[in-house]
Amino acid sequence: MTVGIILAYVALLLGITLYSTRRSKKDSGDYFLANRGIGSFMLLMSIFGTTMTAFALVGSTGRAFEKGIGVYGLMASWSGIIHSLCFFLIGAKVWRLGKEHGYVTQLAFFRDRYRSEAFVLLLFPMMVGFVLIYILVGVVGSGRVVEALTPETFARSDVTTSVVVDASLEPKLAAMQVPDDLRDKLSFDASSRTLTWTGSMHPKRRGALMKLVQPPSKPWADAVGELVKKAPRGSIPYAWGMGFVSLVVLIYVFFGGMRATAWANTMQTIVFMVMGVVAFIVIKNALGGAEAASKALLASKASERASRAGDQIGKLQFLTYCFVPLSVGMFPHLFQHWLTAKRASNFKLTVVAHPLFIAITWVPCILLGIWAAAVLPETTDPNAVLGTMVSRYAGDVLSGLIGAGILAAIMSSMDSQFLCLGSLFTNDIVDRYGHRIGLGTLDDRAKVRVGRIFVVAMVLIAFGIGLTNPGGVFPIGVWCFTGFASLFPIVFAALYWKRSNKHGVIAAALTVAVLWFWFLGDALTGEFLIGGMMPVTIVLAASAVVLVVVTLLTPPPPRDVQDKFFPERTA
Amino acid sequence: MRNARALVLYLAVLALCVLHQDFWWWDEAEPLVFGFLPVGLAWHLGISVAAAFVWFLMVTVAWPRDLRDFDAGSRDASLGGDDSAGERVR
Repeated sequence: MTVGIILAYVALLLGITLYSTRRSKKDSGDYFLANRGIGSFMLLMSIFGTTMTAFALVGSTGRAFEKGIGVYGLMASWSGIIHSLCFFLIGAKVWRLGKEHGYVTQLAFFRDRYRSEAFVLLLFPMMVGFVLIYILVGVVGSGRVVEALTPETFARSDVTTSVVVDASLEPKLAAMQVPDDLRDKLSFDASSRTLTWTGSMHPKRRGALMKLVQPPSKPWADAVGELVKKAPRGSIPYAWGMGFVSLVVLIYVFFGGMRATAWANTMQTIVFMVMGVVAFIVIKNALGGAEAASKALLASKASERASRAGDQIGKLQFLTYCFVPLSVGMFPHLFQHWLTAKRASNFKLTVVAHPLFIAITWVPCILLGIWAAAVLPETTDPNAVLGTMVSRYAGDVLSGLIGAGILAAIMSSMDSQFLCLGSLFTNDIVDRYGHRIGLGTLDDRAKVRVGRIFVVAMVLIAFGIGLTNPGGVFPIGVWCFTGFASLFPIVFAALYWKRSNKHGVIAAALTVAVLWFWFLGDALTGEFLIGGMMPVTIVLAASAVVLVVVTLLTPPPPRDVQDKFFPERTA
Repeated sequence: MRNARALVLYLAVLALCVLHQDFWWWDEAEPLVFGFLPVGLAWHLGISVAAAFVWFLMVTVAWPRDLRDFDAGSRDASLGGDDSAGERVR
């Protein structure tokens, strides 16, 4: 059932995105920027969908399960303030410059503003590297989500799993009445005290198995736990899930470019927001209502989750987390979305609605996470909390729909990243330096084709790394946000400091690169703080100081650059 | 006048950042607002709503003049059939 719903969702998604390509003009302007014709609503949905990843549903629930309500303040309410600030101060201004001077990518803007090929060649690998890590998080996340959502897809009737039970259980198991739906799966051999399961097993069968022996006892709980742990899941394999989701996104990005991406993001954003709310309502009702669920939490030993007490979140960490959302100011894929707007005024809806959309998506997930702390074992894998709550309190259909919602959140970020990599490579590398390797001047179709080849290469690299099932992929995802956020002074200076020059920004970018690698080892170990602060505080401060000092010690940019980007205002 | 309004609104954004650091009920779970929202979570939900309101005021009364003029220039140019809409506007 779950697989069917996900496939139906993917078919609908491909149908809508391929339909959108009928409006396409088939040139590179449309492919990369939808001919700068996106209106207010689609801009809002594209930008929101791009900034929200799987973390918005799965990660937020899991983190709240571990760290309590403070996770909302840490990641959601800060983003509501800072993201909109970036859209207001950076996004709309960049859009105007892009429209005026014909920029297609972030690097094209920086090249023109700072007149430095060296800076662009330094920034290109940094941007591609950070985006690649971001893609890796999505690819690995999609593989894990598909695997978690599809147990018993393959029956595997040739496989049996056995556990030897405690002697005290023997009389009860010998007299056990196995329900009809489990008769061909579960058997007990009294002579060897062996409990055997035939085929694959969905973890939610734990509840049905526990009811077979009454009253519940620890030996029986241990036996069931071991059986559930040892039996094969029969899920769609992790690698297939990664490959399938990547392929779906590649198809609609390839055929429709930015226009299809904007349509897909609009649909996917609606899907993941609605599914998050639906999951909340169903689970809330199953728990006896919101009031009962919160009171049950307060009465449980996990009551701390309803506050920030103890060592859940530090005050300095809470404060300095405000620097992390500055990363949206430097995301090259978001930069490209900004350039798609039809008018500057299209940004107004995004600036205003973004904090509300974050609240609509995050508050239900945070509540589910803290309520789960009262009903699930403390040892539950945080990333499995939402899935476990859904499978425990909702049916197969809802599981499938919520699965589609989670994949929607993942895909709505991946598509923009794929497109952005193609744009950066085509416009900033091949177009500029292609003649040196015999590519000459490319026509529009060749440009798009070269971009696609580069994207496939990058996705294959992400897929290859994903196949190793890297455990630390989520911490490195957060670390890549730190890299983007630390580069923020560069874009801010480009727009608001006339004096800022190429020497300052090259020095700042080098500072970020050095510190990013310097702290990489610590960052991969998990929650990494420096003196209780988010490390982005240090890297960002260093980058800003270096930018200012080096700029002041070196000559200002040429007069024509100053006039171009900071024209004298006439009355 | 526009600059003064923008300054006030930037101060409001700064105030939101200060109010975000709500150490005064850091360790408190109760009261439960509306019977189910722990007070710290309700406060931060309020911060999100207040942020949307401040940004609404910002785009309404302090939208940058150069962007407004650019849009107006683009509209005029496109009405006149000029595909390079906006490029003439500085």
